[in-house]
Amino acid sequence: MHEKTVRKLKTILLLLFVFFVVGMLIYSRIALALSFTPTTTPEDFSKYVWYEVPFYYLWDYFSHAWICLLFAFTAAGLVYEFMPKEIITKYMGSSKLAGYALGAGLAPFFTVCSCTMVPLFAGILYTGAGIGPAITFLLMAPAANILTILITGEFLSWEIAIVRIITSLATAVIAGVIISKTSWGKTIEKEHRVNRNPSTAQGSVEIVKPPLDERLVSALKFGGFLAKQILPYFIVGLVVVGYVTAYTPQNLVQGYLTGITGVLLASVIGGPLYTPTLVEVVLGRSLFQLGMSKAALLSWLMGQPYDIPNMVAVSRIVRWKVVLTYALIAWACSVTFGLLYGIITASL
Amino acid sequence: MVTNMKEVKVEVIGPEPACVRCQTAKKIVEKTAERLRQAGMSVKVERANIISKEVVGKYGVLVSPAIAINSVVKIMGRVPAEEEIERLMREAAK
Repeated sequence: MHEKTVRKLKTILLLLFVFFVVGMLIYSRIALALSFTPTTTPEDFSKYVWYEVPFYYLWDYFSHAWICLLFAFTAAGLVYEFMPKEIITKYMGSSKLAGYALGAGLAPFFTVCSCTMVPLFAGILYTGAGIGPAITFLLMAPAANILTILITGEFLSWEIAIVRIITSLATAVIAGVIISKTSWGKTIEKEHRVNRNPSTAQGSVEIVKPPLDERLVSALKFGGFLAKQILPYFIVGLVVVGYVTAYTPQNLVQGYLTGITGVLLASVIGGPLYTPTLVEVVLGRSLFQLGMSKAALLSWLMGQPYDIPNMVAVSRIVRWKVVLTYALIAWACSVTFGLLYGIITASL
Repeated sequence: MVTNMKEVKVEVIGPEPACVRCQTAKKIVEKTAERLRQAGMSVKVERANIISKEVVGKYGVLVSPAIAINSVVKIMGRVPAEEEIERLMREAAK
């Protein structure tokens, strides 16, 4: 009886916290009309001495962004905890279509943390789903996880966040389908296929659901873990962004990061230049303020899937030929979609 | 006291080298196992590679860290609390 009361109390407190975070976000949005993004423009920074720049930038940033960041990490923790992960185990490999649908639509939500990305990629490859869905998942994950969506939407704009998801989805599916048709893709697929017959397999999966209070605790803990993993890089990234914002001449950005050259250049530097999670959004925002075109911004954001550390880890499983193929397709798509977006919105 | 208790085999499944959360999961499992051993239970803890063909063949696609008790995956994609994993181990020993 006593234990039950404690559990109930804990559940209520945790739910209150979640409601508080969501409420704060909505309240600050509506009542305070507070923008989450820094208010300082590049010109404001030039009046500071060089060592003052990061402090002012960080202050400007976090005084606005804390609610959004708190919300993003809490939401990521909750989604990750309450998403039914066993669906992947159950349906992955049941058919090609299910493989693509899960790889593109569901799996990305589990991969807010890069350490789950490569194992899931390998798992999808080894089961009957094969290389197509595995590549689709790999290219979709950096663009479609809950943290990236929230941060892109809040810090840049919801328009670009949605466009990013749609174009990434198209890219991921195109790359997956093309690679599954190539001879080298098929070779890898055959090599790695594990025949698993559920009726004879010695192991099984029966996920237990702990009580609600334990799940909420573990969700918030995971949110905290993500924050601990990501925020240090984020802060270092922000300091760099502070300098970029303060010292990059506007005409340089306007001259090079607009038009067709802009899209090409952004798609190239957005990829191999490895920016830790979420920094690409902030840096993109800075460059956008300095005059980068919307088209180039989209190409810049889409460059994420082919960053170098990821490619190295994946190449250990599928070898370089597949990696280079998908990198090339992803690059071509980021240029194409960037240009298209620029033409449609008249902001090339 | 040590009558008719079954042996419990716990597999902590994650990538190699282990990710941070998999290490945390392993530590929690080890600690709980040690406590249960002192209480007279027979507990074996192993590490399994999530991207090995053995694991995929046995269980299918998993989200790391996963914990299997006597070849049944009970926990996937999260780090359990000590009391939770203890409860599961005790159930498996019955």
